[in-house]
Amino acid sequence: MALALQAKNLTVSARIDGALVPAVRALSFDLEPGRILGLVGESGAGKSMVGRAIAQLLPAGFSITSGALLFEGEDVAGMPPRRRRALLGRAIAFIPQAPMTSLNPVLTVGAQFDEHLARFGAASRRARRDRAVAMLTAAKLPHAAGLLGQYPHQLSGGMCQRVLIALAFSTDPRLVVADEPTTALDVTTHPPILTLIADMQRQHGTAVIFITHDLRLAAQLCDQVTVMYAGRAVESGPARAVLATPAHPYTRCLQLANPSLRAERRALYVMPEQMPSLRQLRDLVGCHFAPRCPLVTDECRRGEPPDIAVATGHRAACIRTAATAGIAAAVRDDVAVRAGEQPLLQVVGLQKIYTVGAGPFGGGRAVAAVKRASFSIAENEFVALVGESGSGKSTIAKLLVGIEQPTAGRIVFAGEDLAATRNRAQRAASVQMVFQDPQSALNPRRRVASIVTQIMEAGSRHADWDQRLARTKDLLAEVGLSADFATRLPGQLSGGQRQRINIARALCALPRLLVADEIVSGLDVSIQAQLLNLLARLRAELDFAMLFISHDLSVVRHLCSRVLVMYDGEIVEQGPVAAVFDNPQHPHTRALISSVPPDEPQAPWAALKA
Amino acid sequence: MADALARSLRSPRVLIALGMLLCIGFCAVFAGLIAPHDPGDQNLLSILTPPAWVDGGDRNYLLGTDSLGRDVLSRLIYGARTAMLVALFASFGAMVIGTVLAHIAGYFGGAVDWLIGRAVDVWMSFPPVILSLILMVGLGTGLSKVILAIVLVDWTRFCRVLRSEVLIVTRHDYVAAARLLGFTHRQTIVREVFPATAPLLITLVSLEMAIAVIVEAILSFVGLGVGADQPAWGQMIADARQYVYQSPWNLLLPILAIFITVTAFNLLGDGLRRTLDVRLAETGR
Ligand SMILES: Nc1ncnc2c1ncn2[C@@H]1O[C@H](COP(=O)(O)OP(=O)(O)OP(=O)(O)O)[C@@H](O)[C@H]1O
Ligand code: SF4
Ligand SMILES: [Mg+2]
Repeated sequence: MALALQAKNLTVSARIDGALVPAVRALSFDLEPGRILGLVGESGAGKSMVGRAIAQLLPAGFSITSGALLFEGEDVAGMPPRRRRALLGRAIAFIPQAPMTSLNPVLTVGAQFDEHLARFGAASRRARRDRAVAMLTAAKLPHAAGLLGQYPHQLSGGMCQRVLIALAFSTDPRLVVADEPTTALDVTTHPPILTLIADMQRQHGTAVIFITHDLRLAAQLCDQVTVMYAGRAVESGPARAVLATPAHPYTRCLQLANPSLRAERRALYVMPEQMPSLRQLRDLVGCHFAPRCPLVTDECRRGEPPDIAVATGHRAACIRTAATAGIAAAVRDDVAVRAGEQPLLQVVGLQKIYTVGAGPFGGGRAVAAVKRASFSIAENEFVALVGESGSGKSTIAKLLVGIEQPTAGRIVFAGEDLAATRNRAQRAASVQMVFQDPQSALNPRRRVASIVTQIMEAGSRHADWDQRLARTKDLLAEVGLSADFATRLPGQLSGGQRQRINIARALCALPRLLVADEIVSGLDVSIQAQLLNLLARLRAELDFAMLFISHDLSVVRHLCSRVLVMYDGEIVEQGPVAAVFDNPQHPHTRALISSVPPDEPQAPWAALKA
Repeated sequence: MADALARSLRSPRVLIALGMLLCIGFCAVFAGLIAPHDPGDQNLLSILTPPAWVDGGDRNYLLGTDSLGRDVLSRLIYGARTAMLVALFASFGAMVIGTVLAHIAGYFGGAVDWLIGRAVDVWMSFPPVILSLILMVGLGTGLSKVILAIVLVDWTRFCRVLRSEVLIVTRHDYVAAARLLGFTHRQTIVREVFPATAPLLITLVSLEMAIAVIVEAILSFVGLGVGADQPAWGQMIADARQYVYQSPWNLLLPILAIFITVTAFNLLGDGLRRTLDVRLAETGR
């Protein structure tokens, strides 16, 4: 039988300053019909480039410079445009990363289905409608017929993604490319969406390329995986084997950098630095992973390591694969920190009601973002707040720091009612916030030194510049950046570095409570590990408590000692992390926990129903 | 911002525009020194003489004379002074009012925003030229009256465009962060929001100067401008209209002057818009 998709030494290059730099290098894989191939890697690894090469939608300046991509034996790049148009969307379908923006907002679901099916030759309007209803029903969407008349904005993200999956499979494609199909969705919707993709794939006998950054998830869903780093496939093989016995140091480090939800709490492996950018890649000789690799030897820098077979069908591009299993994270050293006895923050009966759609003279509809919330945080304690999107987590954060005023309830900080605190400077010095999106949280016009010491120019204070520079130096050292970052602009920093600056600014006046809203969410696993270790170290050094908002339970379990579970504006469960995660009481807590894939690739993932 | 301004000085559009404006500005400032005649001096013995290079031209009057025998070149030079004064002060005044209101509306939102927004709407529902004519009838003629009328009409232009920019900037987390760090509202607006809207503001000002030049010309043309004693390009056009067959130059020259000035301001605005757009320039490592 012909292969559904075959990559033969595929190289995709970008033109940078006149030189060609490969973003994907000599990538080869075989995808048989009816199988799922996982492309795994952090951002910038080049995994999305493969999907884009198939669709022939490479970004400007990028092109396939050598090798070939064969769909059922036909070269995708070389085929006539007319032939490609006939294939794309029909025989080759795509499931996008951002479902909300991928549907046309001005057309109903029915109209989009109709248009799609008509383009690929479904005869009558009646037949197209029946097909649409059948596909939507198969996608487990309730009231499929009624859904046809609805607009995308009337659906949740998960529903949009189901519609897109139904749409993708409606033409009986022979290849489906799914690029991070769950990343933009709520964690609790991940298992059902993945189950749906797997079901559809099985029913239609489709070959699937599944692009993801999550190793554990790939191991559960895929037959084969290819791990990519800086454009190269560093390891490939049967999904479970690659995860159970990783042969390449990068795969192993990635695994160790990810905290576990179920296993014994252990230290995270911290890879130094970050993945090289295309520009840096140009000047790198030898193994591209060498700057971050714990096993690096002089020989690694001499030439690119060959692709070595470590078992049947399991290959790795490394000269020291035998030593990989020995890589281990340092022992956890922050266990000594104990939360204090005294409650630092007490929140009693907190409520926030927003009025939406109101004019200047009132009116509008009341939305209870937080219905009732009571909790406390002790001195030096890290408390997590988890819950699905829209449950009110960010609203609590805004109420605590004073961006919003509560409708009812009290916030008592160190024995003082915060609502009554008129002294803004005092409040600023005791409670600070780290924002989620470091891009938006840093003024692009201020230099790093001016950002991290911004609190010193607030109100009537006018610290002189020497003072501020001295403080900058200390703060940069605290967050693990060198002093020459002081003069940089935020635009010249990577995502992880920006988040460090963000943390440094919040810590400038040594607050006693930090509110952190999803501060590691958008970051790569290796950068996330760096930041989690940083936060643990800073707590030991500087003594502060933190409300850590996250949707990632593994991260929460690693960093925090107590957890609050929020659902629909209420705190439905709270307690020590171990107690809540090992013995969840509320159904929503259980749903959150079961949506995390197990660490062991062999272990069954109950939420992913066969 | 300083970097961006330096960068814009390398843009050919900006350089050409600045060159043109420098010439016009030089004429405006040193009108008394370079004008060969007093712009009001009448020589009834040589009226409607064509420019010197045309048959019947007079070396004494390089660009000819008008129907009262006044020197066209000198009147053009003094007219530049009028045009530049109006452009500068009117756009500056409109900018100050529009910018302050836009920042208040966009930053605070809610009822304040609503109120300012409706005021702008009502104001803008009048055609601008009609509104300024009505104002001039009420205010009377004179340089300061023209400036005042343009300010009163055109602040809405700044207010509307800037308000949406302020809204976008205010939504950034760094503005909320500034408040959390203890910044007062005024500090937040001045130090965090305004620097982000300033590039757009500069662009708008240079475009507004072009508009002010045109409006001043229109007002002077209909006789509701700076007043008869002060030379203005619009007035020169109005005068020359009646003798357009005898002396087309008198009509063409002030039109050309307006055209060049307006083009220069527009070119400057366009060049600045391209180079100051920080959103385009500051990404990428
Ligand atoms: N300014 C606002 N005006 C009106 N409604 C709001 C406002 N802010 C939040 N809400 C609503 O309040 C509810 C809770 O929102 P919140 O942002 O606190 O959720 P969240 O748990 O942080 O979600 P996510 O995980 O997506 O960040 C949502 O229904 C949201 O639409
Ligand atoms: S070749 Fe060397 S540097 Fe590269 S991954 Fe293997 S051990 Fe590390
Ligand atoms: Mg949130």
